[in-house]
Amino acid sequence: MHLTHLSLTNFRIFSRLELDFPKRVILFHGSNAQGKTTVLEAVAFLALFTSFSASSDRQMINFNLPESDPVRVGRIVADFQRGNKKQHLETRLILEQNGGDGNLRLRKEALLNGVSRRFSELYGQFNAVSFLPQMSKIIEGGPSERRRYLDEVLCQVEPGYSRHLIRYNQAATRRNALLKQLAEYGGNPNQLEPWDVMLSEHGAFLIAGRIKLINQLETLAQQSHHNLTGGKEVFRIDYQPAFDPFVAENGQLGLPVHNLADRSPIELPEIQKSFQTGLEKRHRYDIQRGSTSIGPHRDEMRLLTNQVDLSNYGSRGQTRTALLSLKFAEVHLMHARTGEWPVLLLDEVMAELDPLRRHALMSLLDTVEQAFVTTTDLDMFDPDFLGNHEIWKVHQGIVSEA
Amino acid sequence: MRAIPDPVQNLIDAFSRLPGIGPKSASRLAFFLLKAPEALSSDLAEALEALKSETSQCQRCFNITVKGVEICDICASSERSDETICVVEEPLDVLAIERTGVYQGKYHVLMGVLSPIEGIGPDQIKIFPLLERLKNGLTKEVIIATNPSMEGDATALYLQQRITPLGIKVSRLARGLPVGGDIEYADQGTLQRALAYRQEME
Repeated sequence: MHLTHLSLTNFRIFSRLELDFPKRVILFHGSNAQGKTTVLEAVAFLALFTSFSASSDRQMINFNLPESDPVRVGRIVADFQRGNKKQHLETRLILEQNGGDGNLRLRKEALLNGVSRRFSELYGQFNAVSFLPQMSKIIEGGPSERRRYLDEVLCQVEPGYSRHLIRYNQAATRRNALLKQLAEYGGNPNQLEPWDVMLSEHGAFLIAGRIKLINQLETLAQQSHHNLTGGKEVFRIDYQPAFDPFVAENGQLGLPVHNLADRSPIELPEIQKSFQTGLEKRHRYDIQRGSTSIGPHRDEMRLLTNQVDLSNYGSRGQTRTALLSLKFAEVHLMHARTGEWPVLLLDEVMAELDPLRRHALMSLLDTVEQAFVTTTDLDMFDPDFLGNHEIWKVHQGIVSEA
Repeated sequence: MRAIPDPVQNLIDAFSRLPGIGPKSASRLAFFLLKAPEALSSDLAEALEALKSETSQCQRCFNITVKGVEICDICASSERSDETICVVEEPLDVLAIERTGVYQGKYHVLMGVLSPIEGIGPDQIKIFPLLERLKNGLTKEVIIATNPSMEGDATALYLQQRITPLGIKVSRLARGLPVGGDIEYADQGTLQRALAYRQEME
């Protein structure tokens, strides 16, 4: 798929920006703090409906708008082509007064072809994969970064995933509130049963989705990794679900690294049943700790090369290569699942790579329909590559075709 | 110095506590009453007063009745079957189902739903009186008509787990496509439910 038009209103530095895009690679060239990354962030928003940097979505609305405005609206409007279908997606970030007490509230809404839709129905309409400097958090950050990564991919490729994710979190909040009450005031623990059912219904879907995704990502990433390291390293992804449908409930934890569990044959109803049983068995323990101890909200995923856990022992180079393999896998997975190449977003990542990996990334850019690349330095790119692609200048919030 | 005298401000604050009324609507209502003839506010005051003092709850189904009436008209009616009990969250839900004119059984009003976030458990709503009621042996089916919200679903599950062992059939209102709705415009969740709970054509 590819974008044909992007229009930004009051989005970060841009009061107004209108861009028509060709179906190819576009390089945004300019110094720092000119708005290059902002264009990428806007495109990523169309896929994720949140900012790709972890900062607050509120900051995406142009801060030059007068504070006295009762309502401030940032807008991203895009036309894109998916297969032979033209789509028009409009998203709005609305900062408005919440009640009379002066508190501001951010409301997000989206319209597909003029019809207002829920975000859970819009995931997967537009797909993008972003390569960002901060993506090393997937390896170096805490488990929540890896869950966030899995969820972002799954929302885009697995229909219904985002709905189940929202529901799961809502059910977990309620179960936890009840656990705290039971811990504090006592009461019959059988009140937890309906919430166990609810949590297992939605949680099983998340677990099943993650098992399938991680299996596919691993296979695809192994191929790229083999090529990127000249066969010297073997890449593995080890899914460590906090509730593991694979391990019998006897307290046995992870299997040795060289013998990763194959959970792919476990069916959804089976996961749901055993997850529900697992929750029921933990009533007493969960009441003591005042929160739900098992379930996808506590999942972990380890990335390994040659059986070494990268988050603990990876060198910078190894981490970078593994991330690149993972991202390549994500691109190919989206293509395999949706039949469309996602739009690639590369923010200043060339500078960190050696010539071999840079070359591999450039050939990936040639594979997909469209990519947006930011750089401060055109020397990073082969002259051939520069000759074949669009180079646009970004200077103080103005984008011009060079 | 306050711009608004206390009696007005008190009324605004009181209105603001009502559901669906924000501070702006509350002030509008208060100033409207201030301008309107006194009869309007005294009528309103009387009605508000009577709302609590002149009503009570049916001792069987917990629907609202007139003061002094222990058992409501529906519970007392011999025309209506004792074999089915329809369980709803609020008295307004009884009205909604009555308007359909097709239900011929009895009701049970829970006066709320299980909501851990608001600290509402089974003891805070009328669940145990319902389970007591079912011991009379007349009931053959309980129709659970709680809202299709997370709390409504949890309440339905909680009831089902306790009623099924009594040998009483438990059903839930169907969920799916609205009458007059277009499949094209139905959201995924609704359509999924409609598919999962499809019915054989007779």
